[in-house]
Amino acid sequence: MFYRRAGIRHTRYQDERQLFPLGFDRGLIIAVLAILLAAPFLFDRLYVSGYLLPWLIWTSAALGLNLLMGWSGQIHLGYGAVMGIGAYGSVHLVRLGVPLEIAMIAGGLLSATIGTMFGGAALRMKGIYLAMATLAMQYVVDFVISHSTVISGGSLATLQVPPVSFLGIPLQGEVPTYYLALGVCFVITLFMLNVRRTSFGRALAALREKDYAAQILGISTFRYKLLAFWVSSFIGGVVGSVLAVTYLRAISPDQFHIELSIQILAMIIVGGLGSVLGPFFGTALILFAPILLNNLLGFTAGKFGWSLPIDLRAHLPLMAYGALVIGFLLYEPLGLAKIYANFRNYLLVWPFRHAQR
Amino acid sequence: MSLDRRSFIAGSAALAAPLVLPVQVFAQEKIVRFTLPQDFTRIYTFVTSEYNQGQRDYFTLVNDRGGVGGYKIVADITDHANDLPRAIEAYERGKREGAVLIDPLSTPVARALVPRALEDKINMITAYSGRSDAADGSAFPYVLPLSINYWTQAGLIIEQFKKTEKGSLKGKKIVFVHIDTPFGKEPLPILNVLAKKEGYELAAFPYTPPGNDQSAIWPQVRRARPDFVIFWGAGVGQTVALTEAIRNGLPMDRVSGSVWLSESDMDVVGREAAKGVMKVEPCVGGREPKVIKDILADVVGKGKGAGPENKVGTGYYNYGVQMATLMVEGVRKAAEKAPNGPVTGPWLNEGLRSITNFTADGLLPPTTITKDDHQGGGMGRIARWDGAKFVPITDWYSANQDVVWEEIRKNSEEFKKSGK
Repeated sequence: MFYRRAGIRHTRYQDERQLFPLGFDRGLIIAVLAILLAAPFLFDRLYVSGYLLPWLIWTSAALGLNLLMGWSGQIHLGYGAVMGIGAYGSVHLVRLGVPLEIAMIAGGLLSATIGTMFGGAALRMKGIYLAMATLAMQYVVDFVISHSTVISGGSLATLQVPPVSFLGIPLQGEVPTYYLALGVCFVITLFMLNVRRTSFGRALAALREKDYAAQILGISTFRYKLLAFWVSSFIGGVVGSVLAVTYLRAISPDQFHIELSIQILAMIIVGGLGSVLGPFFGTALILFAPILLNNLLGFTAGKFGWSLPIDLRAHLPLMAYGALVIGFLLYEPLGLAKIYANFRNYLLVWPFRHAQR
Repeated sequence: MSLDRRSFIAGSAALAAPLVLPVQVFAQEKIVRFTLPQDFTRIYTFVTSEYNQGQRDYFTLVNDRGGVGGYKIVADITDHANDLPRAIEAYERGKREGAVLIDPLSTPVARALVPRALEDKINMITAYSGRSDAADGSAFPYVLPLSINYWTQAGLIIEQFKKTEKGSLKGKKIVFVHIDTPFGKEPLPILNVLAKKEGYELAAFPYTPPGNDQSAIWPQVRRARPDFVIFWGAGVGQTVALTEAIRNGLPMDRVSGSVWLSESDMDVVGREAAKGVMKVEPCVGGREPKVIKDILADVVGKGKGAGPENKVGTGYYNYGVQMATLMVEGVRKAAEKAPNGPVTGPWLNEGLRSITNFTADGLLPPTTITKDDHQGGGMGRIARWDGAKFVPITDWYSANQDVVWEEIRKNSEEFKKSGK
């Protein structure tokens, strides 16, 4: 009914192989993209810079981590540090007068280099042991940044981002910054959608399932494990610099602590490991559920004249948020992306309840 | 799990529910809106609760007495959990609803909001948090600490030590135990400069954050045989530091903290054992000041208190009242200058930056905010814990401001250079 699958006959290989074979999906994506493109003119500034901008940035980061954790199955607990390296690298370069376009890439390369060095641990370790190694990376990087005043920026440990421009457009106000984040997120999403169709993506999937089986099949685990860390850290570094330039505007060491790593980890687990759509949903839930629940409770309390003690008033939304996350994962352990897939499968055959596969 | 019809409908209804909830509409009267997103749940927790309770009680007092300069104060309170996306959302929401002042009470949040507040011309209060160089009003017109920063606090403590030693610290040894974060290291430049000037020897001992285990550091402090000890931290690290200091037999009357020490900390450490320890007081503690008495009589007494009554008059509660009196005084001054508004950030900014010799009936040291000095004069006093309460041992005084302002200017110049 909605998807109109009947009568679709692919007569060429490229039709069959396109990213979204169903017309309805293509239409949906174009509609979402159009809304995102027009957002600064449609919505209030509150929603653009308070919701959409962080959503795009955090989603980009979650996509980068998902490549490593969801695709190649290598656990990483220090992704916040990876982003921090990119942010500090690029902001320092920008302060030295390097154009932002180059500084972003350089920040990514710096993250990729350091990230790969720590990723080398993955050659010998797996699972929970690798988690510990990457956790160590988080703390080592935190320590180095906050203890070298040259990096962290003086006794106040705050590094201001100077006014920058991207491709000749000054990044001032919420509109250009939003479009930069949107552009980066778009490129990363496109990359992630395509990566699973490449030999690289398939090699990562083979690694994830069983690394020595992959080695027997002729996939160099050495090469692809490091490559997975390289690519993922590169994305992390670039997103880190986007985060610094468009959102934080002044960086300090505590912004890239373990909390950020865990937050992004939670986004991909709640959203769905190994899915492209998942991080979008996961980020929205993790970032905005506390805010919305807080506002909802504040609104309801105001409406009905409840006088809640402030501590309870502040903690109730967090309890509801925790329950929400657990509830979603109990309902569908494969994440929000799978819930969407179920929903889509339901509509694919609607009004019938089942279709023969 | 596959989807059946019932859960499909239930899910759709749950998703659609927030969309049909009505949008809150505010009555149009003469109000000044403040937004107070603070961290009630992650790091500052009980500090925020007490601070915020003081602020709200004072606003209730002012509003019940008919407001200030014809304006009522509206304060929106939310929890930002020290999380930047949440804080920035709260800031943007506050701005949209017409708030002209924000008080985030969090250093990371204040840092991220500085460029935004300067751009949007919204007054940001950064009491005991944020950038210390925001005291330089010429570089940060819309960032107002309105209170003594950490550099000034360090300067005050050293001055008090000097007085204890009858005017000279030559050859003395001062140990600085601090949490190993930028916040903990902040006073170091001042202490170093003063070490050269006063001739004392400075030894710094950092402990790893969050500071719930400092047992390795304090025996070293004891072995260093210090004449004086300054400990610098916040939250859990403070009580652990004090406990360890007591356990290692350091003379408590030669130990001092910053403003971050309160009655609640003393309950954890043991009221009797901590006797003698000093702290910096930026405003009067206890229930003696007239403002606190008024709150007890007219707000708490009438059942309108914002929190538990036994917190009224504690250290952080009074800090909250202190900041609230300054904000309200800013509104009064602004209303004097332009009675009919319009209520905007610049309107309030004019008022806040013309506060002169304000003491809130004896709650604060004489505070004067000017367009250059957002610190308010740099006055504070030292108080000593006597086992039941903090007793002031000095009058309001200001010290070493030349050194402090050198550091402030150095950093604010750097900020200006980055082109904002």
